[in-house]
Amino acid sequence: MTERPRRPVPFPPVYDWLLFLHVLAAFMVAATAVMYSAVALGASPGGSTIRVADVLWNVGGLGTLILGIWLALYVDGYEIWDGWILGAIGVWLIATGTGERARAQLAEGAQSFTALHWVRTLAVFGLLVLMVWKPGA
Amino acid sequence: MTLIAAIRPDDWNFPLFLHLVGAMTLVGALLLVAVSLAGAGRGRSVAVVRLGFRGLLFAALPAWILMRVSAEWLASKENLDEDSPGWIDAGYMISDTTFLLLVAAIVCAGIAARRAGREESAGSGLNLAAVALLAISLVAYVVAIWAMTTKPS
Repeated sequence: MTERPRRPVPFPPVYDWLLFLHVLAAFMVAATAVMYSAVALGASPGGSTIRVADVLWNVGGLGTLILGIWLALYVDGYEIWDGWILGAIGVWLIATGTGERARAQLAEGAQSFTALHWVRTLAVFGLLVLMVWKPGA
Repeated sequence: MTLIAAIRPDDWNFPLFLHLVGAMTLVGALLLVAVSLAGAGRGRSVAVVRLGFRGLLFAALPAWILMRVSAEWLASKENLDEDSPGWIDAGYMISDTTFLLLVAAIVCAGIAARRAGREESAGSGLNLAAVALLAISLVAYVVAIWAMTTKPS
């Protein structure tokens, strides 16, 4: 995770909670990628598993975006127009778009589900790379 | 309200990335297996019981190892391996305890998968035991994520 900003800070708990919930949301997104990967690899985990994965994707996806933007605005030194943040928003849109299409294709039983899922998984990896390396920050 | 942005040495990034990949894969695999096995308890699907065992053995266990080894690497980079703060100790305690729970869950799921293959019945108490162990682990990992992000001293 990122280093805690240098103390003293006005409201460390706010930063801590934002970061915790942002990372927790990222774990939800990654969990969805893992759960759908099982299906893409030929497993049949059952409808309830897919429903849970979809809920995690919805909550995690929205959480990473909203809390990520909130963090970018809250932390001095990050700006919403920083290249790595704009890039992350772009990759998030790709992940969301392919994820929605993968979900629909899976429901229809279409073969193209697998390709869409791997693109989404690659996008999730890309998000993680951007969050860790923060190129240009 | 503004805070000062954090600066992290570049050579910490790769072990941190591996640590996160391992931890996220681990949590995803545990969720996959826990939800699938909980569903199998009702639907008695042999294929799902086998997925539970394989998911733990081939996804969760390697992910735990990646998470743990990269954590050690990261701690040594940050010089936190000798005089470790409380949040690092919490991480070690949670990862070590959940490893035991993971091994126990693998054993339970493995026996359940073997029995399911023979009897074509998958609704054993072993599945429920595995689900309970995984649920405890998942709660512990949420606490670990909180400790790793907020770093309480």
